Amino acid sequence: MIITPVHYIAVPLLAAFLIPLLAKLHKELVRIVPGLVFLYFLIISATLMQQLPETGTISEVIAGWSAPWGINLVFSPFSGFLASLMSFIGFLAWLYSYRFKKVDFAQSQKYFILLMMLVTGSIGIVLTGDIFNLFVFLEIVAISSYSLTSFYSGRDSAEAAFKQLLIGSFASAFILLGILILYTQTGTLNMADLATKVHLIAPSVKISILVLFLVGFGIEAEMFPLNGWAPDVYSQAPGPIGSVFAGVVVKAGIYALIRVLYTIFDVPEITHLLIILGVVTMIIAEVAALRQDNLKRMLAYSSIGQMGVVLIAFGIGTNTAIFAALFLMFNHAIIKSMLFFSSSYLLYNSTTKAIAHLTGIAKKMPFVAFIFALGAFAIVGLPPFSGFWSKLYLLMAAADQKMLLLIGTILVISVVEIIYYFRVIGKLYYGKEENNIEIQKPSINGYVVMGVLGAIIIVVGVYPDLVTGIIQNAADALSDKSTYIQSVITENIVR
Amino acid sequence: MFDYNNILTISVYGSAIALILIGIYAVLIKKNLIKIVIGMSIVDAGIHLLFVAIGYISNGTAPIFSPGNEGRVLDMVDPVPQALVLTAIVIGFATTAVALALVIRLYKHHGSASVDNIKALKW
Repeated sequence: MIITPVHYIAVPLLAAFLIPLLAKLHKELVRIVPGLVFLYFLIISATLMQQLPETGTISEVIAGWSAPWGINLVFSPFSGFLASLMSFIGFLAWLYSYRFKKVDFAQSQKYFILLMMLVTGSIGIVLTGDIFNLFVFLEIVAISSYSLTSFYSGRDSAEAAFKQLLIGSFASAFILLGILILYTQTGTLNMADLATKVHLIAPSVKISILVLFLVGFGIEAEMFPLNGWAPDVYSQAPGPIGSVFAGVVVKAGIYALIRVLYTIFDVPEITHLLIILGVVTMIIAEVAALRQDNLKRMLAYSSIGQMGVVLIAFGIGTNTAIFAALFLMFNHAIIKSMLFFSSSYLLYNSTTKAIAHLTGIAKKMPFVAFIFALGAFAIVGLPPFSGFWSKLYLLMAAADQKMLLLIGTILVISVVEIIYYFRVIGKLYYGKEENNIEIQKPSINGYVVMGVLGAIIIVVGVYPDLVTGIIQNAADALSDKSTYIQSVITENIVR
Repeated sequence: MFDYNNILTISVYGSAIALILIGIYAVLIKKNLIKIVIGMSIVDAGIHLLFVAIGYISNGTAPIFSPGNEGRVLDMVDPVPQALVLTAIVIGFATTAVALALVIRLYKHHGSASVDNIKALKW
């Protein structure tokens, strides 16, 4: 069987359709089948990434309609890197939540189908070459994330989900309007074709389309001031879903924003706007994280802050900076999902999710506390963990452009990050032990997932060359617009 | 002066924009969750109308090469916006359904469907 990118979309959709039927055969299939799908994702990623140096960017035509007319999927080194990362985090989230809380059969059926759709939609966003198709995948992600946020009915989760839905439906309305205006101006929806025709659009119209897309995708990418949904959602959603949001969904939002800004609109002025938005996002989020007493909300604000740093890196826009941005995205996906996985066990029996609840818990749960501390060290960028390298590359990229004020701001904000993460670690290790806290021993799956992520952080920290090659290829593919256009639009098109 | 096509164009585009604005007004001002959901649907409806309007040609024909219509390529209505709007309607339907399900959950949890009474989560 030949493996092609369309398997990323077709297999999970078929599985989601079949799961309710398979459940009639055996109830455990509801949990197992999504895991097999995620495993298949990993196989596709590995095969395609290996083929990539020989075949070049793979552009797959769907249903026989070639590029500018039909929908196509593009597996470039950049898309492939993100798709593989998402498959990996999705698989770990499945493994982690396999026995996470004893939910009954009907609920677990919903949970695993929605988890699969969430990851599939994000991979679809990354792979598609058609801007309306991107909108459709964005809505698949959005609808499954609303349902997953409101998964536990005992909490205030419906409120968080409704907020997310309200903001998300405005995002989709803005994106739809942007696509509408883009279509009236160019008469095409294919992103490579749009990139060649975008110069036909009048500058004033171009600006309005850009603003619509910036607002629409900015909501998904947690950009300030459009991130009001994030802290509520992270604190109310089930624990593993928090990791999937941070590791997969937000990455898809950033991808959409960057694809539109870098490939379709090649406006150099927008990069300064991205730096400003990134700095504001970073400062506001990290200062807000400092005054949180709820651990999940603190992690959510930290996640928003990290996305601000990624926006800054994309805003600088040189090849080194794009490399740093992708490295930051990789590290954020690994480290932040590890922090969410471990904090779920730390807060297992806490209803308030307060940091104060954690005093001295390290003596009872040494492994989980160690994993949390490892993640905290890595995300603030201490050597020898992987977070250090991405921050170093970002600062080097900024130094190349003589942006000294920016470097100063990032360093000051890093100190703020250190303060609020170390406050939690101090509570964990040196707080007075309370005997009446009920703890939950992690399942074997939980140990495996956290151990694997922790090992990746240390190994990548010691040997960054393991991933820098792939990330460098991805960065080159993103900055090289003409190869993308050529690989999508083949020469057999008659104009 | 009273060109039929002009009046049609202005009224279709005008009503699409008016629908979007009415929807945004409802979402921002109304306190009742159901009314907010209705506002969201109205915004969607406005955008859908706008989509159909951009593909419209007056006295046009369906984009099908049926006998007798082969020469009328320039009169054919653009089919792409219609295909897009069908997809967008389905998506809007799903979003509205999820929103209404959430409203029911919120009403059961808080005993009220007013935004003023639902503020367990703050910034």
